[in-house]
Amino acid sequence: MATASKHSILLVDDEPEILFSLRGLLRREFDLHTANSGAEALEALHRHPVEVIMTDQRMPEMTGVELLRRARGEYPQAIRIVFTGYADIKAVIDAINQGQIYRYLTKPWDPDELLAVLHQACEHYDHLAQRRRLLLDLREHLARSPGQDGAGELLARLDQALAEGPAE
Amino acid sequence: MKVLIAEDDPISRLLLQGHLQKWGHEVTAATTGAEAWRLFEGATFPLVVSDWMMPEMDGPELVRRIRACQRPGYVYVILLTARTQKADVVQGMEAGADDFVTKPFDREELRVRVRAGERIVQLEHTLAEQNLALREAQAALVQSEKLASLGRLAAGMAHEINNPIAYVTNNVAVLRRDMLAALEVLDLWRQGDGASAARLEEELDLAYFRTNFARTCDKTLEGLQRVRDIVRNLRDFARLDEADFKEADLNAALASAAEILGHEIRQKGVRLESDFGPLPPVLCHPGKLNQVFLNLLANAVQACDRGGAVTLRSRAEGDDVVLEVQDNGSGIKPEHRARLFEPFFTTKPIGQGTGLGLSVSFGIVRDHGGVIEVESEVGRGSTFRVRLPRQPPPTGGR
Repeated sequence: MATASKHSILLVDDEPEILFSLRGLLRREFDLHTANSGAEALEALHRHPVEVIMTDQRMPEMTGVELLRRARGEYPQAIRIVFTGYADIKAVIDAINQGQIYRYLTKPWDPDELLAVLHQACEHYDHLAQRRRLLLDLREHLARSPGQDGAGELLARLDQALAEGPAE
Repeated sequence: MKVLIAEDDPISRLLLQGHLQKWGHEVTAATTGAEAWRLFEGATFPLVVSDWMMPEMDGPELVRRIRACQRPGYVYVILLTARTQKADVVQGMEAGADDFVTKPFDREELRVRVRAGERIVQLEHTLAEQNLALREAQAALVQSEKLASLGRLAAGMAHEINNPIAYVTNNVAVLRRDMLAALEVLDLWRQGDGASAARLEEELDLAYFRTNFARTCDKTLEGLQRVRDIVRNLRDFARLDEADFKEADLNAALASAAEILGHEIRQKGVRLESDFGPLPPVLCHPGKLNQVFLNLLANAVQACDRGGAVTLRSRAEGDDVVLEVQDNGSGIKPEHRARLFEPFFTTKPIGQGTGLGLSVSFGIVRDHGGVIEVESEVGRGSTFRVRLPRQPPPTGGR
């Protein structure tokens, strides 16, 4: 069971058949978690943070964009993706433009395109995690010898870069 | 104006004809009531000036026939008579005459009375034109409201269809991939390479496929069935092919409206209950009644808060059927009650809804010989009740 090397994805949709279908498609390549609503999704994130969150937009009580907004607050590293049918496009475009969302996918989706986007999202996560790791390592190394020339300024710059967090 | 005169006395007739022609009218003259009637049947005369006493058919009888024949356009009738008794006047008016001129007639008196008649005819003509314009505007309103509700319907349907199509497409892609994988494993077994086969099986997670294959197929078929139902619903709702009255099961119409709004209802977290009694088939225009039920149900759902409830009820009452849509929403304020069915009246914010739904629904139900009754209490909710006869009255319906 080489699950340790699989990226984890949280799938959120109010339609159970969509979740079942996606599980069929994605189970081999990803470590999958599912939720039926925004509230369930947030709970699932508490128990087990994930690398990618993919959610339907049109759900009763909490929309996808709203869920991702909240998820961003608590779990900023997760890459956020939303599904949407045409009618919801405005809300989604706004969310993308505000930098909240990595990609959106239409419903119905093309299974190959979906897989490609999810792989890209995981790569993006890895890239950001590596960057963060690098900055932290640099900072730690630099902090051991604060007296060095320009160390203070460099430390401040590193702190800022870390605070800005993942690009989204 | 074209004027028909009926006067058996030749001198009176010539005088009458002369005066009327001098005043600019086109005169056709008859010497008896019967001749006048034949001439009247053959053409359109907005003004008729007739003697009372004539052979073959007297004035009052001519007037009675004119009134009975129900032609479009008003016919103004002046009776000429030497009789001045009040009882005679009453008899003439009862027969349907508009005015009297006593004989021998004064020219000026005749002129002003004819002019009064012209005014009446003109007024009626204007009224008829306005009525026509109103009917056309009404038809356009009904059409636009129907388009609006079809539009809402289409939007709801698009979402409803999206999900099944999405997972059906995905399921087929998954089945294809997993089936090909299974065949690969099978090939390895056939080649006698059990070890590789077992390894590949685990790599491809064939165990999952084995467990879930049947279910995936079943869910796919269900999804397609859902799409079929949605399309059928739209066809039933639009009923574009039916312009005539048909017998319909109104419980099915209510259920259909509920299905069409299904997504909105679930989205809003509203509970839908139904209490359908047995209903006889109702002679109606099913497409239009579908529109009414959709409108009332949509309003009821809109009025509810999350967690609210809408109840659909139906029962037969004597020769009528009664259908109710009840909500436990905000209720209707007393000052709005009177204006509910007014075109363009709405309590929704700008951009939401046309304000035409209820007025169009009202018109449709009225055309079926029925009524819409409203009961409401602020804070408790409203009930809209549609009462329809099993057969519309003969002059009703469009």
